[in-house]
Amino acid sequence: MKRSRLVVIAAASVVGLGLALALGALVLDPARAAVGPLPAEGLVLPADTRFVVGIDVQRFVQSPFYKKFASQGGRPKAFSELEQKTGFNPERDVDQVLIAGRPDKGQQAGLVIVRGRFDRYKLSQAIETGGRRVTQKKHEGNPLYIFNEGQAGASAIAFLGHDANLLAMGSQPAVEAAVTSHFQGAAPLKQNTALVGLLERVKPGSTFWMVGDQSLLSQMPSAVPAPGGSGGAQLQLPALKALMVTGELEPVLSLDVTGDAADAAGASQLADIVRGFVALASLQASQKPELKGLQNAVSVTTDQSSVRLSARVPYELLEALQPKKAAEASPVPGR
Amino acid sequence: MRDTSRAVPFLPSARAVFGLSLEGMLWSRRSLVLGGLLAIPVLIAIVYRLVLAARLPAEITGLHLYGYLVALFWVRNALPLAALFYATALIADEVEGRTLTYLLTRPVRRSAILAGKFAAYVVTTLCLSLPAAVVTFFVLATSRGVGLAGSVPDLFRDLGVLVLTLLVYGALFALMGVLMKRPLIPGLLFLFVWELIANLPGYMPRFTITAWLRSLVTHRPAGRGVSEMFGQVLPAGLSLVVLAVLTVAFLWLAIRIFSRREYVLDQ
Repeated sequence: MKRSRLVVIAAASVVGLGLALALGALVLDPARAAVGPLPAEGLVLPADTRFVVGIDVQRFVQSPFYKKFASQGGRPKAFSELEQKTGFNPERDVDQVLIAGRPDKGQQAGLVIVRGRFDRYKLSQAIETGGRRVTQKKHEGNPLYIFNEGQAGASAIAFLGHDANLLAMGSQPAVEAAVTSHFQGAAPLKQNTALVGLLERVKPGSTFWMVGDQSLLSQMPSAVPAPGGSGGAQLQLPALKALMVTGELEPVLSLDVTGDAADAAGASQLADIVRGFVALASLQASQKPELKGLQNAVSVTTDQSSVRLSARVPYELLEALQPKKAAEASPVPGR
Repeated sequence: MRDTSRAVPFLPSARAVFGLSLEGMLWSRRSLVLGGLLAIPVLIAIVYRLVLAARLPAEITGLHLYGYLVALFWVRNALPLAALFYATALIADEVEGRTLTYLLTRPVRRSAILAGKFAAYVVTTLCLSLPAAVVTFFVLATSRGVGLAGSVPDLFRDLGVLVLTLLVYGALFALMGVLMKRPLIPGLLFLFVWELIANLPGYMPRFTITAWLRSLVTHRPAGRGVSEMFGQVLPAGLSLVVLAVLTVAFLWLAIRIFSRREYVLDQ
């Protein structure tokens, strides 16, 4: 065999083995996604969903951000109470949370799907004896707990399936629809091609992510005060058609926000506005040294009609940006 | 029996030239040096895992470092340099070694000679660069704070961009190799002076190759200061079309010029 052929075979073997391993990791990954970062169970979300949020709870809980938050007494007391009553500890037992909704319908269209390990018996008992007005009924042969049934804003909670690892909660119609879709094997979210298109653009594997269409931003102001402007001068913000956010909490707080503007000019204008604010904040670094690292932490790029803001904020910088405690900031009266 | 008065068909003759050239290219001092250069990221990745991961700023994760290596090391510098050294020498080496006469006097078409040599260049550079990229990816994507499965699409995309980089720069430098007697200096000037235009605002970056290639790399490093303000990301679909058209055009021109040019060898 020629020497060159040996080299080609060796190189092809390394590349082939690498690609096979990479494909294997992609296919066998337990958190394999159905659409972008969305797992298969998320496809039961309603077709008219306007935004979806996903949180990898285990990575969130293990992050320095949460550990610090918990050590400073930020851990909700309800967690301890819940664990005492049901043995269920959200920090330990929940793997993933998906939140979907429609801003124009408020809580009426909200739906939360939780993947984790639940003691179905204990949780059911806690719901039934929880003191709230709760009724139980069967929907598709699956127990459904409804709070304030028959009233406006009735909410519900249900296990999806017979194994106790999926829980759906939210407004009664949304939970009923999710149960129906789950048992009939339907995937209503796939009908929402716009949202599915946005989900496909989000890289899987983030600690938290969010996609939403323009309705998500309808409450946002359409203008902001011009930097350094006097007399109420304002900058018109170009309208965004869609928003995608992914974030990591380890080893630094990193956030990637992509906004789709109507056209390239709008994206460029928005990027300039954001850059302007970052530059302004950096200019203040002489007076506020804690802002020194801000410019290097944030970058803004445009890609056709999209604006992408990437922020990599070390925890030290985040801490420096927080307002100083009152005791440190204000002099003690009488001294 | 083959009619010896007629040229050997294109494919068999190109394949023969390819086999001959590949043997000469892969086992050469040039390959040893460039193979070492292209494998530097593997060393960087290993050093990162063993030593630097604990000392570097926390925001530089394994995947960020991998992104820097792909965008700044391979696509912007090392692969264009490898293309320059190999592709300009496709014909120049034969001229310098005064062996071109032996090739040109064989009953093979000149287009088959250049096509075979270009294919050998592509295979040689792919053999040197792709294994290094794959190994670097696995060393860095399995480090702390990086999800391997989530990074796999990046690997596939990056390997595609590396192949495109070698093709388009290879075709350009093959053209320069048949056009010029000493193409190295113009090639270096093109890479490290002209290609800087990619960082200018406006329409100018479209006249560089690196701007189109850079637009295909998704985890491009965030710009700093002026380059961030001006750094443009061109549409990915258009980038693919432009790079494919450039490769075909450069290669076609190179073959056309080589087929018609008369070479006078120094005695």
